[in-house]
Amino acid sequence: MPTISYRDAVGKAIQDSMRDDPRLMVIGQNIAGYTLKPLAEEFGESRIRDTSISESAMVGMAVGAAMKGWKALVMIAYADIASVGHKAIVQSAAKIHYLTRGRLQCPVVIRLPIARFRGHGPMGNEVAASWFYNVPNLNIAMPGSADEAYWNFREALQRPTPTLFFEDRSIHTRTSEISASNPGGKARLTRSGNRLTIIGAGRTAALAEDVADTLAKQRYRDAVEVVSLGFIKPLDKETILSSTKKTGRALIVQDEPPWGGYAPYIRCLLDELPSGTLAATPRIISGVDEFLPYWDERPFLPSLESMMSAAQEVMS
Amino acid sequence: MDSKQLTARSHERSGIAWRLYIEMLVTRLFEEACVRWEHEGKMSAQVFPSRGQEAVAVGSCLAMEKGDTVIPSFRTRGAMMAMGISIAEQLREIMHSPLAAGDSRDAPHHSSWPDRGVMPGSTMIGGHLAMAAGLALAMQLDGQGAVSLAFFGDGTLGSGDLHETMHIAGSWSLPLILVCENNGWEMATPWQKVRKHRELVPYAEPFGFATRRVDGNDPWDVYHSARWARATALAGQPAFLDCITFRTGTYSSHFGETRPGIERELTEWERRDPLKRMAEWLIGSGVTSAAELERVRQEEEKRLVESFNQVLAEVKGN
Repeated sequence: MPTISYRDAVGKAIQDSMRDDPRLMVIGQNIAGYTLKPLAEEFGESRIRDTSISESAMVGMAVGAAMKGWKALVMIAYADIASVGHKAIVQSAAKIHYLTRGRLQCPVVIRLPIARFRGHGPMGNEVAASWFYNVPNLNIAMPGSADEAYWNFREALQRPTPTLFFEDRSIHTRTSEISASNPGGKARLTRSGNRLTIIGAGRTAALAEDVADTLAKQRYRDAVEVVSLGFIKPLDKETILSSTKKTGRALIVQDEPPWGGYAPYIRCLLDELPSGTLAATPRIISGVDEFLPYWDERPFLPSLESMMSAAQEVMS
Repeated sequence: MDSKQLTARSHERSGIAWRLYIEMLVTRLFEEACVRWEHEGKMSAQVFPSRGQEAVAVGSCLAMEKGDTVIPSFRTRGAMMAMGISIAEQLREIMHSPLAAGDSRDAPHHSSWPDRGVMPGSTMIGGHLAMAAGLALAMQLDGQGAVSLAFFGDGTLGSGDLHETMHIAGSWSLPLILVCENNGWEMATPWQKVRKHRELVPYAEPFGFATRRVDGNDPWDVYHSARWARATALAGQPAFLDCITFRTGTYSSHFGETRPGIERELTEWERRDPLKRMAEWLIGSGVTSAAELERVRQEEEKRLVESFNQVLAEVKGN
């Protein structure tokens, strides 16, 4: 099977979903004539709909359409703008299934591209996933590869409750094959090893692969296993625990500050293992607890170098 | 109120005139009973009585047809009545009967029966209007020939979602009807303190809505306006009904009266009470008599108590 870029995998996922379901619509800004022009040509502008800059109403309308059995993809320009739609995401989209005791479903995907490293400054370089981590019934996907991007998207539209789809633009050009079937919400072992498990999502999962590959060329052949989470909520605890029990060591990497999110949660999960299960105390690498500057975000975030040195320390 | 337009059917008990009266009556009796039951410790729900405003919810919903949807606000109990949700079904949600369709998860004024057109509008104020627009969008795309209606109070003018929704719905010509219960107060704040115009038509018109100022205390005006709004929305222009009214009851069973110095207005609006006006219309048209209406009131009171006892038995597992 040919390889495909992360960016194209998202596009293919949208296209294939549109072909499979005539009652799936996309709403967003600058899409019909620009970002999704080929899809508008194929499916028409009644299903690929340009809206005004009204993110709160866009999400609310997707929820309303879902009440009549439609599925919807809401295209938010970048992840920071989740703040504008927060009310609609948390109070409208996430709660409908609960409030109606499942009589209504909400298969709505809210696409939130992570736009850091592109000079947007502190209004455009947030990940924003951890802002939503304590909202029940809200699925959160943060794919780390083209394959994951494709299947996380397809999976999200099958779920009865909404999904925040954090597409990491910094890995848009990375390529992979698309696997033949939907693995559901399962995490992926993208590298296999026996001395350390690195757990990440989005950019940090991709970086973890680079760490494993780089270390393999040094004296750590077959040492580093990588768990790419894909869905960071709900979490595939089984894969996390089985890999960590096997390697005995865990490094959890999160592209946001450490106060909330999957990293501290997974750290707690691992801390609950019986004493002596692991060979070393699990460790978190996260972003600093600070906003990120326009001129360069990198010094304040996990990097290949910081992950490499942490990995070596944990394995030593 | 133009009685000349009415057909003979309107005079029958199954007709619109009778239903306008009876649904408003039952709404008022039910809300009064809920406040009483709450104060007596028989139920714990906070009640937001729609006293004086019943015509807005009842008149609008009776103008809807099968396949249309309605999103109530928190002071439109009459919408549930007019959409055919029984007292027992509503009480099940309030009292958490094991038979409650929604398992009493949502606050009782937001209880929903989606398969019967009563949709959940439970979100932050104004957010439900976007959901109503989404319902309308689905109806438009499906070519269903149905409309989506949502209620809101005039205080919702301050919510960004109202403006975002009107902005998009006007542009997309959605089959959407927005019905404002314009009672001039945001809980304890009179409209003059927080907006420029009492009427909301000037705010809605530029977004591309067909607008109409409605006497919210005249059940016939509300009903005919909602029929016009439905036809307009289906013809390709969303509609906005600005129903001028006044709350003659308390803010809620918990907060009581929140508006100091309104005695003169209360007296004036009591004279325009929609239930009283509808009773006068029915009697004046020879449909019924004062004595018969009194008998109907007693019957409905009795049925309320029967429903309450039935649901209480369900709750107790009898």
